[in-house]
Amino acid sequence: MISKSIIRKDIIDITRSKTLLITLIIIPIIFSVVFPFVIVGGALIFDLEKVAGSDLNMMLDKFVSVMNPAVASYSVEQQIVYIFINYLLPTFFLLVPIITAMTVAANSFVGEKERRTLESLLLSPISIKGLYLSKIIASIIPPLFVSIISFIICGVIINALGYPLFQALIFPSTNWIVLISCLSPMIILLVVLVNILISSKVKTYQEAQNIAGIIVLPIVALTIGQISGVFLLGIELILIISAVLLIINTIILIKISRFKDRSELFEKQIF
Amino acid sequence: MVNGFIRVNELYKSFDQQSVLQNVNFQVNKGEIIGLIGPNGSGKTTFIRILNGVIRSDKGSIAINGLDPIKDGDDIRKMSGIVTESAGLYHQMSGEENLRFFSDLYGVANKNRIVELLVLFDLIEHKDKKVGKYSTGMKKRLALAKALLHKPDILFLDEPTNGLDPDGIKLVLSYLKKYNEETGTTMIICSHVLHQLENVCHSFAFIDKGTIVEQGTLNSLADKYIDTLKVQVETTLKPTGPNYLGYKYTDVGNKKLVFELQSKHEISKLLNEILKTDEVFSITHMNTDLESIYFKVRGIQHD
Repeated sequence: MISKSIIRKDIIDITRSKTLLITLIIIPIIFSVVFPFVIVGGALIFDLEKVAGSDLNMMLDKFVSVMNPAVASYSVEQQIVYIFINYLLPTFFLLVPIITAMTVAANSFVGEKERRTLESLLLSPISIKGLYLSKIIASIIPPLFVSIISFIICGVIINALGYPLFQALIFPSTNWIVLISCLSPMIILLVVLVNILISSKVKTYQEAQNIAGIIVLPIVALTIGQISGVFLLGIELILIISAVLLIINTIILIKISRFKDRSELFEKQIF
Repeated sequence: MVNGFIRVNELYKSFDQQSVLQNVNFQVNKGEIIGLIGPNGSGKTTFIRILNGVIRSDKGSIAINGLDPIKDGDDIRKMSGIVTESAGLYHQMSGEENLRFFSDLYGVANKNRIVELLVLFDLIEHKDKKVGKYSTGMKKRLALAKALLHKPDILFLDEPTNGLDPDGIKLVLSYLKKYNEETGTTMIICSHVLHQLENVCHSFAFIDKGTIVEQGTLNSLADKYIDTLKVQVETTLKPTGPNYLGYKYTDVGNKKLVFELQSKHEISKLLNEILKTDEVFSITHMNTDLESIYFKVRGIQHD
């Protein structure tokens, strides 16, 4: 049913497309290298306690009051870095799987259509369900891989720069572990599924990106906006959100696995 | 040949209320090479796509070896090879990678098949080059190799010689003919380059404005449509008067006379008479070629 050759071909395709490859490299560098480097490295160079001022100190106290009691014993500088690493950075980090998954999945069907190869695929004896499922898997692997690599790099940077400040390894916290093992894969799957559906209904990559931008980005932005708060409220809520996403993903997957109308896809894409 | 390997009855298709195919009746025998001939936009490509089950017809019935393209589409696609007009190859992959990918899709177990076809179509030296850097002719040859990977029972070839140089055209057409003789593969070749098909196809179907207006062998079509046979004879004969032995003729120069005969059976009689007094160097049929018949049929349809 699932075609390994389509998955392999799609991944080769992604690695040989300059535009896709640049997105897969630049986005992780920004959110998993530059961000932690600037904040944790900044804490080493500048005196964050002075920079913070009294308002930020009051805000810190409120944050710290709902956290692990050990955090209260940290210096202001340590508290700023700790909060950034464990509560704000995860929000930005989620943009890595989201943007990479969007880029790869939007290209999925439309890329084939634009290069006039979709006709060859539809004229071959692969089932429509098999084609969709293979394309979904091929679109999940790169963002998942990039997220895990970014997570590791991010961890190395945080621990390397954070060690002089904390005299301990502060990464990964449970928030991060739940994020990378549950939330990130579920968000990748959701973004891929929605984008593959869009990609199979439109005719150009531009159109796919635009629709994805209109439909997906607001939802994503709304979710991300709430997530920094969610991280503060604890891993149970992140697990619940992941479970809800799992249910939504399963419903979409069941819907997709019922697709079998080759002529509908052909007429929408080729004509 | 098995009669009616592909049978199409009263087929209709329209897109957005624009009729593309109407009342198409078509039949191909097993092992036959049929040329599907018609101008651009006459519905050839849509017809091929419907036969492969990637487009639904609005009305009518199709049976390919007893299978229905919509219900049994995957079975039909497994036994079909197709060369589309755009070749449908992955430009960012090498020639060999393309063939490997499609051989996986079609479940080809014989791994030597890829090398065999690369050698056959003169692409072995370019197997590692990206297809995006191939010339049009190379792409067309690779597309043909792709279509033959799984040794299909039916080959659908949509403009298979487009973009090929004369050597490429000769290579491809002679291979197709040889392959048909060796394997008995049924072939449907769409083209509008008529002279290329004349010596390859066993029969022809003319499609015009979405309808098959005529179908048959070259001989049967000639018998049906050619009333007066024009024969060009290269000879030393210099007749006087408007007729020779009662046959009208035109002197076209260079010792060439074009005679108008009622049937091909009169050719022997004419030559016998000429040879009594003069020499004959060559004889050529002027209006029984595919092109002449095609335009004759089209002329009748448009009148």
